[in-house]
Amino acid sequence: MASTLLAWINRRFPFTSFVRNELTDYPVPRNLSFWWNFGFLAGFVLLLQIVSGVFLAMHYKPDVNLAFDSVQHIMREVEYGWLIRYLHSTGASAFFAVIYLHMIRTLYYGSYRAPRELMWWSGQVLLLLIMATAFMGYLLPWGQMSYWGAQVITSLFGATPMIGEELVLWLRGDYAVGDATLNRFFALHYLVPFVLCVMVLIHLVALHHVKSSNPSGIDLAAKDNIPFHPYFTIKDLFGMVVFAVMFFAVVFFAPETFIEEANNVPADPLQTPPHIVPEWYFLPFYAILRAIPDTLGGAAAMTVSVLIFAAMPLLDRSSLPGGARYRPVYRAMFYLFVMDVLVLGYLGTQAPEAWVVVVGRVATIIYFSIFLLLPWVSKIEERWLRRRGLPTALQATMASERRQKASGV
Amino acid sequence: MRSLRVLSGVLLATTMMPVVMAAVLADVEIPSDEASLQRGAQLATSVCLGCHGFKYLRFGNLQALGFSDEQFDSLRAGQDLDAALDSYTPADVARDLYGVVPPDLSLMAKAREGGPHHVYTLLTSYYTDESGVTDNHLLPGVRMPDVLGYSSAATPGERTELERQALDVVAFLSWAADPKVEQRERLGYFVLGYLVLFAALLYVLKRRIWARLG
Amino acid sequence: MADTDEADAGRRDFLTTTTTIIGAAGAAAACWPFVVSMNPTPGVRAQGAASLPLDGIPPGAIRTVAWRGKPVFVFHRVPEQIAKADSSQGGKDPQPDAERVQDAAWLVVVGLCTHLGCVPNKTADGWLCPCHGSVYDNSGRILSGPAPRNLDIPPYTISADGTLMIG
Repeated sequence: MASTLLAWINRRFPFTSFVRNELTDYPVPRNLSFWWNFGFLAGFVLLLQIVSGVFLAMHYKPDVNLAFDSVQHIMREVEYGWLIRYLHSTGASAFFAVIYLHMIRTLYYGSYRAPRELMWWSGQVLLLLIMATAFMGYLLPWGQMSYWGAQVITSLFGATPMIGEELVLWLRGDYAVGDATLNRFFALHYLVPFVLCVMVLIHLVALHHVKSSNPSGIDLAAKDNIPFHPYFTIKDLFGMVVFAVMFFAVVFFAPETFIEEANNVPADPLQTPPHIVPEWYFLPFYAILRAIPDTLGGAAAMTVSVLIFAAMPLLDRSSLPGGARYRPVYRAMFYLFVMDVLVLGYLGTQAPEAWVVVVGRVATIIYFSIFLLLPWVSKIEERWLRRRGLPTALQATMASERRQKASGV
Repeated sequence: MRSLRVLSGVLLATTMMPVVMAAVLADVEIPSDEASLQRGAQLATSVCLGCHGFKYLRFGNLQALGFSDEQFDSLRAGQDLDAALDSYTPADVARDLYGVVPPDLSLMAKAREGGPHHVYTLLTSYYTDESGVTDNHLLPGVRMPDVLGYSSAATPGERTELERQALDVVAFLSWAADPKVEQRERLGYFVLGYLVLFAALLYVLKRRIWARLG
Repeated sequence: MADTDEADAGRRDFLTTTTTIIGAAGAAAACWPFVVSMNPTPGVRAQGAASLPLDGIPPGAIRTVAWRGKPVFVFHRVPEQIAKADSSQGGKDPQPDAERVQDAAWLVVVGLCTHLGCVPNKTADGWLCPCHGSVYDNSGRILSGPAPRNLDIPPYTISADGTLMIG
């Protein structure tokens, strides 16, 4: 019976072959470390956010007079409403944590390099969509931090030459962040995740075309690949549950970690809270914004600081395979970059006193220099490495790559 | 250019604002036992409600604090179980009297940096100087009067008693801001226990499956 | 050798089955909070009662009150209407009028057609549902049309001072 049905379907839709080619027998390099778990985790968090978000939307009211009350209604009256809200608010932070770790892996192992540029770029679009969704979602509880965060960020668009003022008015639909703003942010906050899903699909189609990168930095011969099922189904599942332990520890025992005190005060357009800080995942970019004394320059620098990741496949001109593993200078720059981002993130939490501004400027210069010097550094590093003699492991890797190319695998 | 001025104003404000340092807040353990919560609820309904409201709490919610029937009846003073804990001073009257509407207390325990410690410190920071003016160390010029009478406490014993009252109030405020905390943590232990067990099983299974590769 | 392999395979199967069952149970349990979050909240459940003073309703007049979000018709019947209602058993869902009222002067029925829930309009002899033409008499009994049963009677009491309490 089941086999007849399956045969009927398979004549009309490639069900069995799709499952075999893309899920069960899909070849994956056997040497992947736990660093390759984060894509799967991002998918899990996306699902969690969509499900919890849809259920929150059943009780939430996007109206300046009702929004704050409706969140408290969810927290106090709706059965398990507190759980669904804490899943969603903690999930937003978890999403960024997972995505940033995913990007760190990509940068360290050079996974953005040919032929995976489109994966990297579709990932960059995903990052921008997630940032936009998070920013709009943060307005919805209509607390003081929601309101003033949206007020400040929409004001940034006022720095656009010529049309700035009109642009801000258009974005808000009001002279200040108001009912119109809240309504459109809710509409878009509900919509964009589905656009995100389409982008995830594109990301996955590209992945299944070029296959996963791996720590060695070159594509493996067929004999070193293993089927996704059961090896990576079980590995990804295990990673997901380990992640869930940490995630639910926050949800159940420290759920207010990611909700600022000021956001438990209803929005008041007449009074700014004493200490405005963006969510942790925007802090490094916020620090770059504040490091530039000019509003337009600051806004431009902040935008570029996010977009510049997309240039990585063009900036890295080394012809040596892989990322940081066999390239000591690249590795040093990678660690410098990570530390610089952490410093910027810390500065983002501080009131901009004189020393914060100075350190912020230095860190901003370092941030951009790392990207902009990479074309020369990667070339010089390659020449230096070749003159010094490539490490044996790298030579073996490159030889095996040549053999594969020659045999046409 | 108006929005730009708002923006620069906000960026500037973050530099000028004195940040309340956690260090000045009293480092006390906030009780969560039933007796403290009950005493806190009694103080809240008899004193705090004079000016403040708890608009997200209903009288019926207070039953969760384990009052006896007689205690609960005297506490709610004939109010409907579904009635919110509104202030005895309506908002418009309060605005006429004080110039501002005293803030709602439902979420007060997590609406200030330091949370309940902020409120405890505020209640126990009133003092009277030589000229007889009463003020507050934590928030100088605060409009709220010294409701507990801390500034006029004459003996250390009296002060200790008022500090206990402040703790009871703060315990109640913490509960009011997060009434699901008990249910949440109980479920939390259960969920984490399950996940750790499941992770252990998956780990063993993963080891077995990967062992096939040799 | 073969023995240990088989034992190993058996253990693996047991482990796989256990893990799968525990995982599936966890996934099913995770759905529960989402399902019950759609239940009516305490505030909604508290709307279960409505009251109406009857002294302001003249004979022959009808008042509609909202009870649990539904209209309830409170109909002050005149003696002729009572007599007519009393004289028949209604239509396809026969029931004596006396069983449908506590006080013959007051008919209290849920004003939703038992067919698909539209609000019937008052006519001289009863009600007519505008959606699919169900006809009810002055006792709220179905006479003709697609509706399967008489208009529902909500739980209610009429106090000594003439106040109707529904719910």
